[in-house]
Amino acid sequence: MNVVIRKAGLYTMKIGIPRALLYYKYKHLWEFFFDELDIEYIVSPETNNEIVRKGTTYAIDESCLSSKIYLGHVEWLINKCDYILVPRISDYGSGGTVCTKFQAIYDVVSNTFRDRNIKLLYYNIDPKAADFEMIAFLKMGKFLGKSKSRSLYAYLIAKQMQKCAQLKEIDEQKQRLSENKTKILLIAHRYNICDKYIGEPIITFLRELGTVPILGDIASKREALAKSIEISETLPWTFNKELVGSIPLYKDKVDGIILMSAFPCGPDSLVNDIVIRRVKDIPILSLMLDEHEGSAGIQTRLESFVDIIRLKKGDFNEKT
Amino acid sequence: MSKAYLGIDVGSISTKGVVLDENNHIKASTYLWTEGDPLYAVKRLLSALKAQLDSSQDKIVAVGTTGSARKLIGAMTGAAVIKNEITAHAIGAMSVHPDVRTIIEIGGQDSKIILIENGIVIDYAMNTLCAAGTGAFLSSQAQRLHINIEDFGEIALHSTKPTPIAARCTVFAESDLVHKAQIGHKKEDIVAGLCKAVVTNYLNNVGKGKKIISPVIFQGGVSKNVGVIKAFEEILGMPVTVDTNSHLTGALGVAILAKKSKVENDFCFDMTDIEFKTMGYECKKCSNNCEIICIYRENEIIDAWGNKCENGAIRKSYKN
Repeated sequence: MNVVIRKAGLYTMKIGIPRALLYYKYKHLWEFFFDELDIEYIVSPETNNEIVRKGTTYAIDESCLSSKIYLGHVEWLINKCDYILVPRISDYGSGGTVCTKFQAIYDVVSNTFRDRNIKLLYYNIDPKAADFEMIAFLKMGKFLGKSKSRSLYAYLIAKQMQKCAQLKEIDEQKQRLSENKTKILLIAHRYNICDKYIGEPIITFLRELGTVPILGDIASKREALAKSIEISETLPWTFNKELVGSIPLYKDKVDGIILMSAFPCGPDSLVNDIVIRRVKDIPILSLMLDEHEGSAGIQTRLESFVDIIRLKKGDFNEKT
Repeated sequence: MSKAYLGIDVGSISTKGVVLDENNHIKASTYLWTEGDPLYAVKRLLSALKAQLDSSQDKIVAVGTTGSARKLIGAMTGAAVIKNEITAHAIGAMSVHPDVRTIIEIGGQDSKIILIENGIVIDYAMNTLCAAGTGAFLSSQAQRLHINIEDFGEIALHSTKPTPIAARCTVFAESDLVHKAQIGHKKEDIVAGLCKAVVTNYLNNVGKGKKIISPVIFQGGVSKNVGVIKAFEEILGMPVTVDTNSHLTGALGVAILAKKSKVENDFCFDMTDIEFKTMGYECKKCSNNCEIICIYRENEIIDAWGNKCENGAIRKSYKN
């Protein structure tokens, strides 16, 4: 290991990033950090049938579809890079905790592929051990043979870029919210809804139906967290708090809400139930995705949902 | 010669057809088993409908299709409207019972609830991918008990003390059922318990958090089961109406939609003599390996679907 660090200047080390789970949330932060440090990286391709199939064979039955897909992406990266970036997140301190899969995925990956000579990049966030996000990045930089000041600079730049990208997204979504069409709020984790294989077909189909999809995950996180107490004051999970907080933020600007989860997501099953019981006066559709193919069931549900919204609005002939 | 509208509802089990005149009166209707071959089922359906009509009097100007084979049959008949069964059922039920407030529907694999106020759909919900508490659940339990599904409801009516059965999941229900039978519960009590379980399951899952207001219409295959009707009336404490034509509601709804669409095409019953066939193949152009289905009319391709990306798109040489 030390050899690689000393030789970092000569030997071009390559980091592999699985295009799954937190990649969708931290894409800019990670990529700009490595860019600033002149470190080469490779991101696994968009999810396809083969990645899902492989992930399903490596994962245990009970894990969620999103984690299965993650393992498929890790498998794709093996032998294509030197280290794979697999973050371990314990929790976000006062911001809330995370689902067990984010706490466990580092160990799950290293155990699942232990006989494939896999090397993982150390990235650990654990506020109780004073491993905050910045510390995690400094440690990562040190491991990659970069000086503390350079790593800190790279982290700050990357953080800024991440922030800019978020603001841009929110701005673009604001434009979509002002469109004079049927608008549907999608309450879904970014790693599900932005996934090419499981989430994107839903967005595409909603557009084909002539509606404007609004993503609950695109919102000011600070505002969303504050608003989440209108749905529940006691939710433990940060990501779910941010998501449900977008409901009070956007509810009056959209015509319907879709709760989309990957089977069998534990946090979502509880949170979706709370939402269905507590959010009234707007149509809500609960959509569960699993690896069984066949989009017919999903399309029937989406199509009828949009029809019902239009019947309600009285403009059913908008597009039949 | 007067205009007429044809609605076809092709489900997994049965195929239904309705011909309407301009005042939404049923001029002809047929109900037959799909028997796993929707193309042949529709040919038989068309012959049966043709026999009921006076071809010098009525001319079909628009066709609507619904049900799980709606796309296939829509391509075959050159339908003006291809609509999901949920919307079709809502439209159909409202045309027969304009004052309806709640539509309960339990089919072979789907169950849904539609709430209506002043002739406008205000809310709706559908089961998630799990088929617990639907027709499939009842028919598998009927098989286990060696009872004809047609007699199921009648047997349940003989019970004075229904056996409580856990119906959250088909697998659990089955083991619970075996256990209850082994410790000496009477068969009619178990059957009545199953009917009750379907209702509680429906109300806890699909009807969760929804306010059910009279008049209530119950439709779908399970509505033919008097045991379930009785259990609904007992638990809801209000009368539940089941229309004798309830099996035709979907076809009726889509015929109305075809009429509303104002799209008119020549339609000829002679397609019973035309050869239609489908062929499936696996697209190997990318790692998704999509299953593509092609529809042929006299060996000419008229439609194709199943591709997830543009690579697999097949050009239609002839579209009816």
